[in-house]
Amino acid sequence: MNPIEMNPVALQWLLYFGAMGLIVIGIAGVVLHQNIFRMVLALAIAEAGGNLLLVIAGFRFGAVAPILQDDALQTLNTSNMVDPVPQAMVLTSIVIGVGIQALALALIIRIHQRYGTLNMREVHACMMVDINKSAAVDDLLSAQQPRGRRPLPSPPESTAKRANNE
Amino acid sequence: MNSIVLNIALPLLVAFLLPLIHASSRIAARITGPLVLMVMMWSAVIVFKALEYPVSIALGGFLPPVGVSFHLDQLALLMATIIPLLMLLLWPYQYEQNLREQTVLLLLAAASSGLALSGDLFNIYVFYELISVASFGLAAANRQASSFAAAFRYLLISGLGTVLALTGIALIYTQTGTLNLAQLGLLSSRLDNPLGLSAFALILLGIGVKAEIFPLNGWVAEVYSTASTRTSALLAGLVSKLAVLAIVRILVVAYDDSEAGLMLLVFGVLGIIWGEFSAWRAQDLKRMFAYSSIGQLGMILLAFSIPGEAGMFAGIAMMLHHLVVKPALFLLTEKWNHGTDSLRGAARLSPLAAALFVLFALSLIGVPPLPGFWAKMLLMSGLVGMDTSVYYIALAVLMIATVVEAQYLIRIAVTLYSASDRSSELRLASNTGVMSLFAVVLLSALLTLTPLGSKLYHIAAESSNRALYIRTTFNVNPTPVLEHKNATQEASL
Repeated sequence: MNPIEMNPVALQWLLYFGAMGLIVIGIAGVVLHQNIFRMVLALAIAEAGGNLLLVIAGFRFGAVAPILQDDALQTLNTSNMVDPVPQAMVLTSIVIGVGIQALALALIIRIHQRYGTLNMREVHACMMVDINKSAAVDDLLSAQQPRGRRPLPSPPESTAKRANNE
Repeated sequence: MNSIVLNIALPLLVAFLLPLIHASSRIAARITGPLVLMVMMWSAVIVFKALEYPVSIALGGFLPPVGVSFHLDQLALLMATIIPLLMLLLWPYQYEQNLREQTVLLLLAAASSGLALSGDLFNIYVFYELISVASFGLAAANRQASSFAAAFRYLLISGLGTVLALTGIALIYTQTGTLNLAQLGLLSSRLDNPLGLSAFALILLGIGVKAEIFPLNGWVAEVYSTASTRTSALLAGLVSKLAVLAIVRILVVAYDDSEAGLMLLVFGVLGIIWGEFSAWRAQDLKRMFAYSSIGQLGMILLAFSIPGEAGMFAGIAMMLHHLVVKPALFLLTEKWNHGTDSLRGAARLSPLAAALFVLFALSLIGVPPLPGFWAKMLLMSGLVGMDTSVYYIALAVLMIATVVEAQYLIRIAVTLYSASDRSSELRLASNTGVMSLFAVVLLSALLTLTPLGSKLYHIAAESSNRALYIRTTFNVNPTPVLEHKNATQEASL
């Protein structure tokens, strides 16, 4: 269906849910992915959602773009005009987003040069080792580690022997 | 008054000119940064002295509801004075190769001043983002693998915060159709509903990333233990306070008498619990101070959650106290960056540093004659004054947290002064000169407590006065550049 023919209210709800959906997808991506490059991409998606939400906030259906000639100021009817303020803001925030993504990519390159991995868990582990080394603190005993980072216990001897026999 | 715009424009301009200046003359490049900071401080002090009542500046001649305005009151100007002062103290003077770091520091100075002065929600967001970028750069400036990784993780968390804050701003715009803080204050009844409150929660979490708010503070320990001590001192001392200031402005002006303050209280209490107990578990000084600053920031948020002048007074006092003490403590870790056990007997090698540590630790705990006691006392009496069960629970948490804080700080002090058989391995503490300056500030605050207190009370009364804020913004009378005050013109220009 042509979106212009859609019921404006339904279209507006669709856009709101779309924007919220983009934010949720982005945040879920940052939380769930382990690849740091994908995390940056997910962040970009979330930012796009936020920007879309801000644009919808000032959008009016069936209204015209606020481009004025000099003589139009006298007979100005603001009710059939799209609110330009959010659009100006979104431009700013898109530019900020691009800058931050560029910075993130630069940092990713550095991390890959030094640690040779793009896996967030490995990067974090390497970083903690470095921090502990520079602070001259021994690594925590494995029993003191948070549960997710404990090394797996070695298999019991009986199973190891059985594996050898087979 | 309009000269205060210089505080943002000048460092921003010089930050980008600095590489060019460096190319032509090295000596000029070395003195440019401190010179700019001194000019900033001078201009802020001049305006601060001339200020009798709050003033609003309409930028570009557009009147406030449409244009972007700066709100100059004593609190904003106090911060605008402190920013260059603290940066001068923590400026990387002795390093030849730190040109990039100096550029980023000047950017941080510009953005921080903008955040302190701004009276527009979107402007606050833009300056906040500029602060973010500058602090990523500072966090990575060490050029070690671990600091790149820490800066990247900081960037991710901060980026998530940005998205949350932007969503909150969009929600506020759908409800009110404006982002000028004063006009939001006029329309605050439209924000006193679940949607408005969730917008505040989103902004609180978003901007709270820099304020080390509870669920989004995973970056704190990593960044502070990989970045240089000066960066840690700046981030913990200055940037976190500015984020808190932005949140408090929004809370006071746009969310009067609503549940938003309670939200601040909950996040503050969670931060106190998490920060203090993590600090108690920490095994080296840097991480201990990092976690302890999370706890302290929780206390500051808790103070600002008390409505009215009492909360503002306690909050500003806690904020200024932490701003003096925490950077000084971070400077101490530059050479004492070891496990706490290896500091045994360090007091004999560098007695001044150990004595200063004890002074700052006692003030942080809140031992009576020191200013820290006074700030915590204000917070506690403010909590008692609310006479509500929620605030009593917060008070109990605060008391327990203070005990925990005392335990881990005194543990370090005892380690410093105990006898050691391995004194040859110890290193001298450095930067005692700058630390002593902070100590002088702390002690002079102690001596002038009565006039300082009444001054701070005036500042608090002024900045917690919502009606005054709104009246100030709409009374400005610049010469309008254009005859038609229409929203559309701003976009078309």
